[in-house]
Amino acid sequence: MIDAPEHAVYRAAIQGDRDAFEMVIRSVSRNLFAIAYGVLQNREEAEDVVQDTFVKAWKSRWRVRDSAKLPAWLSTIARHRARDLARKRRPEPLPENFESSEVVEFESAGQKADLDGEVRSALAQLPELHRVALTLRYFEDLDYGTIEQILGLTNGALRGILGRALGLMRKRLKPALASIG
Amino acid sequence: MATTHEQIDELLAADLHDELTATERDEFHAHLVECAECRQAFQEGKNMNRILNETMADKKADPAFEQRMVSRFRDRVPKRSGLISLITDLMRVRAVQLTAVAAILLALAQMGKIITGESATPKEGRENPMIMSEFDSNRNKAGGDQVSSSLAKTDGRTKAADAVEEEPPPPAPPLDAVTSTAPKPQTERAAGLTKTKKAEFKDEKAPTSVAESQPEFAESPQATPASVGPTANRKLIRNATAELEVVSFDESIQKITAFASEEKGYVATTSSEKQENGKLRGEIVVKVLPDNLDRFLGKLRGIGELKNQALTTEDVTKAYFDTESRLKNARLMEQRLIEILKTKSKDVADLLEVEKELGRVREQIETMQGELKFMDSQVAFATVTITLAEKNMNLPAAFLLKEKAQLSLYATEVEKTYNEIKALASPKVQITTAQIDRDNTGRVSARLSLLLAPEESEAVIAKVKGMARVENFQVQTERVSQGGDGLGENAKTERDKVELNITLSRDEQETALQQTSLQIRTPEVNDKTKQLRAIAEQQGGRIRSSSFSRDTNGREYSTVSLRVPMKNYNALMQSLNGLGKVENVSVRRDDRPNSQIDESNAPADVSIQVYSQGNIVSEETGLWATLRRTIGQGASALMWSVRMIGVAVAFLAPWALIVGVVGWVARRVSRARAARKQSAEEEAGRR
Repeated sequence: MIDAPEHAVYRAAIQGDRDAFEMVIRSVSRNLFAIAYGVLQNREEAEDVVQDTFVKAWKSRWRVRDSAKLPAWLSTIARHRARDLARKRRPEPLPENFESSEVVEFESAGQKADLDGEVRSALAQLPELHRVALTLRYFEDLDYGTIEQILGLTNGALRGILGRALGLMRKRLKPALASIG
Repeated sequence: MATTHEQIDELLAADLHDELTATERDEFHAHLVECAECRQAFQEGKNMNRILNETMADKKADPAFEQRMVSRFRDRVPKRSGLISLITDLMRVRAVQLTAVAAILLALAQMGKIITGESATPKEGRENPMIMSEFDSNRNKAGGDQVSSSLAKTDGRTKAADAVEEEPPPPAPPLDAVTSTAPKPQTERAAGLTKTKKAEFKDEKAPTSVAESQPEFAESPQATPASVGPTANRKLIRNATAELEVVSFDESIQKITAFASEEKGYVATTSSEKQENGKLRGEIVVKVLPDNLDRFLGKLRGIGELKNQALTTEDVTKAYFDTESRLKNARLMEQRLIEILKTKSKDVADLLEVEKELGRVREQIETMQGELKFMDSQVAFATVTITLAEKNMNLPAAFLLKEKAQLSLYATEVEKTYNEIKALASPKVQITTAQIDRDNTGRVSARLSLLLAPEESEAVIAKVKGMARVENFQVQTERVSQGGDGLGENAKTERDKVELNITLSRDEQETALQQTSLQIRTPEVNDKTKQLRAIAEQQGGRIRSSSFSRDTNGREYSTVSLRVPMKNYNALMQSLNGLGKVENVSVRRDDRPNSQIDESNAPADVSIQVYSQGNIVSEETGLWATLRRTIGQGASALMWSVRMIGVAVAFLAPWALIVGVVGWVARRVSRARAARKQSAEEEAGRR
């Protein structure tokens, strides 16, 4: 839930106060990064997306009618932009690259890298929303309510999503987990 | 616990994320104790969570991330100046956006208006060209006036210039006249010259000021000789005129002759004529010595009543001496020529030439001698012209009775009456003029002038009077005395021809003897009006005009004006009572005492207004009418604005289209170029 001072900041930002907008940038950029990374699975691209999101948001900030929804609105923009970027990227033979990089990492970084690669590929196979929810949770350690708000989900929906995501991941990484265990 | 088992993934995740409620957690952990499968899953989940926490820790944003975002944002979105940001911010306000759209539409409408050349309101639009044309015509007129006035001005200026050029400096001649006597005649002549010139000038151009100033100026040199110096060596011609009224012409002539001889003069001419009244009137010209002129004129006054007298003096000194000196010269010339004839020349041609010259000179000499002689005679005797008239004292010889009659008639058929009158023509009834006028409204009037022999006149006038209604008859008798203005007791009276002027006009133009106006109130206006017409017809009336109207209150008016002969007037009024409630009766009667009109047939005008009560609220101002009109006007205004916007769009669209096409082509070209470049690069990369 948004308390009064934040609300005032959002309103000022929408009305064109740059300082307020910068405050908003500071407060939400990590979340947005998490979202973008969740979609794209690439840090550089995610960072670009976050940046673009702020620029675009600044230019069209007056579209926000309810200032309380500014963070949610920013998240939507970030998600859309990230998705656009992912779609553009698709023609590239991503899985192959993935494989090869995985291979490369395999050889150079040993077991840690091996596990890392498996996690990545398991993540990549998850639905986008699940991935985004996971990154938000594990990057920023946000509670369910906040994540639901950011992603525009109804109360309690996140529990199912995260449960399914973790379940899928668990099943995929079973061998690795077993070995670790 | 089946549900817990089924929901193991969800609960497991929530437990790991510490999002379970206390009861949920208890249930979950209880289930884990019971279910080995779930226990294993829990173990795996825990590991999974740990792995994820570890891997994700690497991937998440670095601590400087926010700062980086902010500074990049600052780079990418530079701060704009206050005004621009204000405007861009303003443009985001909904009200401002609406206003802007409205303004654009309005501008489009305005533009359409400009394109179509139509004004905001049609009325103005209609007015404008009128004003323009008026303005134009005014301008033309003004221009024309200006041109003509300027022309007139220049004309006037040139005239003035002419006048200045022609006019010798006015003060000069009198000055000369006063200071020296010798050049006087010259100045006089000069004055004469200017006088003639001025006369021309006056005839042609007549600026009054010059015309007025001229006589003074002309007179002044003439007035001076009398006052200046002795008259001894001067050649003055004195003339006098006098008009006298005398009792007896012959007696007066005798007296004047006696006076003339007394003053060493003579009677030059006499003439007389007998006037109509048997009086004598004549003129007698007497020549007396100039010095005795004044005394002679004094004596004349004794003869009778002096009506007027004038005395003029003309100074011919200069002219006289000029002629004399020229004569002297001519004589010398003659002398010399004679000598040449006698001595010098032997050549016949020369001689002939000399003879010719001599002849010319002699002629001149003779002329000049004649002039001098004439002047001498003029100067030697003063001429007195006396006009004598015998006083009117006798009785008139006869009287003539002149009779003039003026007859105005109203005829039902003007042309018929006109022809009847014309048919009266006979040697004793002469028609001098006959004229019939017909105008485009069908009004006919005629005028006739007749000359009647005195003995026939009364009969003819009576006959004409019987032909139509008499509006007016006037007889004017004039008794003209012939010779003398006394009261001749024995003078006989004679009747002259009678002049009769007849004016004929349609009887509709006759003003009614009696004018009545009244109102009849009835609910059925139309029916009652029809009945009214029937009644009028029955009473020998004629409907002169009728009208029907319905006003906005639903009130109906029908106005009928009719004319009936006076004799049927009362009957008509009686029958009107049957039509409805008769109100507001007003009667006006023009009594013409002593008139010869026949009253029973004289016209009476009746103007009747039949009307009904109106609605309380008129249809025009009712709720529905107002609503209808409002909607109608609103719709038409809307349509008008749509039309104007359409016009503006039609005006702008081609340009927008052109710009769009150009932009599209440019983009295509640049894209094609970029694609080519890219493909080239790719190729290069592949190699």
